Amino acid sequence: MFRTATSFRLAVGFLILIGPCLSFGQTTPASFDKLPDWSGLWSMMGGTVFDTASQTGKGGVLTHGVREHPPYTAAYEKIYAEHLARRDEDRFPDVITNCGVPVGFPRIMNLPDTYEFVVRPDIFYIVTENGPNTMRVYTDGRKLPAKEDTWGTYTGVSVGHWEGDTLVWETVGLKGNRDNDSILDRTGVVLSDAARATTRMRKINENTLEANLVIEDSKALTKPWNVTKRFRKSAKPFQYMYDYGCAENQRNPVDTVTGKTLMLGADGKPLN
Amino acid sequence: MRSIYKFVLVAVAGVMAFAHHSGAGFSNDTSEISGVVKEFQFKNPHSWIQVMVTDASGKAVEWSVEWGSPNQLAREGFRPSTFPAGAKVTMKVHPMVSGAPVAGFIGAKMADGTTVGKWNGD
Repeated sequence: MFRTATSFRLAVGFLILIGPCLSFGQTTPASFDKLPDWSGLWSMMGGTVFDTASQTGKGGVLTHGVREHPPYTAAYEKIYAEHLARRDEDRFPDVITNCGVPVGFPRIMNLPDTYEFVVRPDIFYIVTENGPNTMRVYTDGRKLPAKEDTWGTYTGVSVGHWEGDTLVWETVGLKGNRDNDSILDRTGVVLSDAARATTRMRKINENTLEANLVIEDSKALTKPWNVTKRFRKSAKPFQYMYDYGCAENQRNPVDTVTGKTLMLGADGKPLN
Repeated sequence: MRSIYKFVLVAVAGVMAFAHHSGAGFSNDTSEISGVVKEFQFKNPHSWIQVMVTDASGKAVEWSVEWGSPNQLAREGFRPSTFPAGAKVTMKVHPMVSGAPVAGFIGAKMADGTTVGKWNGD
């Protein structure tokens, strides 16, 4: 009887101790030798329509008639429709055109130019040439921060863990379209500051990485939105990821009054 | 090398439109301009080729021809020396709808016959 009671207490104590470790983000960090090789330069496959699976209309983000179909609430469908109308008039400015703020998450999974995916036991970095932008996913066993410890940023806070060769992470603390300076693509898809996402990323073959995002947003979406992005590894050896100083020679600022993208001459004067 | 340039331009020209800014008024028409390279701005977010073109009235007009980001171009073998200052060049471009001396780059033919980009329409 004593043994049984003691065993029970020990079992309960053990569960109390490891309980938090069983929640999201609470795992022992993997060691280098157990992590997959995601080295090299990668490029997103396809154009920059964020969710090609729900796309209607043929063409790219700037083509009239092209749109996506997130499971939007009526309020966010209205916002998206307004953005599409402005896109069709060439008056929907892309915030990255002004070379200032980060693209944030999840748009960081939707960029042209090259990517590096840096895998370490304690952290995973997404480094993009375009921007440039950086995203950190902590895999060191920490928990997601409490809601009061996040205040809405472009990229939010991400905590993850490895399930075999799949990196699983959760992202919270996103600002969404709160300040009208964070979009997912140039059709005008946006999320709210209630957005959060779970991403599962893995190699589906030697040269292809796939990221499956499940986005939830109690303000903008009526149900979880599943989006898949793929990245292809550069086949060329010894490629460079270059410096991308967006403001270095900015000849396409956005006119803050009209929303139109300007073309500046070499002398800095508008040409259009 | 020429065939590489042609292949690359199909990809680079497609990327150029969305890498940094929106459509910004380029037409889908193709025009040809001839002149002398004043400067090749091999800088982010887009490279620009400044070309001095003599118009029908004999006046020298500076054209601004936009190309891809130097990062994309560099990975495909292009360099700041691709368009040296003083070089005579004929370019195929997408002109601005407004008629301003600004255009999107399609391809170029140098004085020695070397072509850069999508010169022969393929």
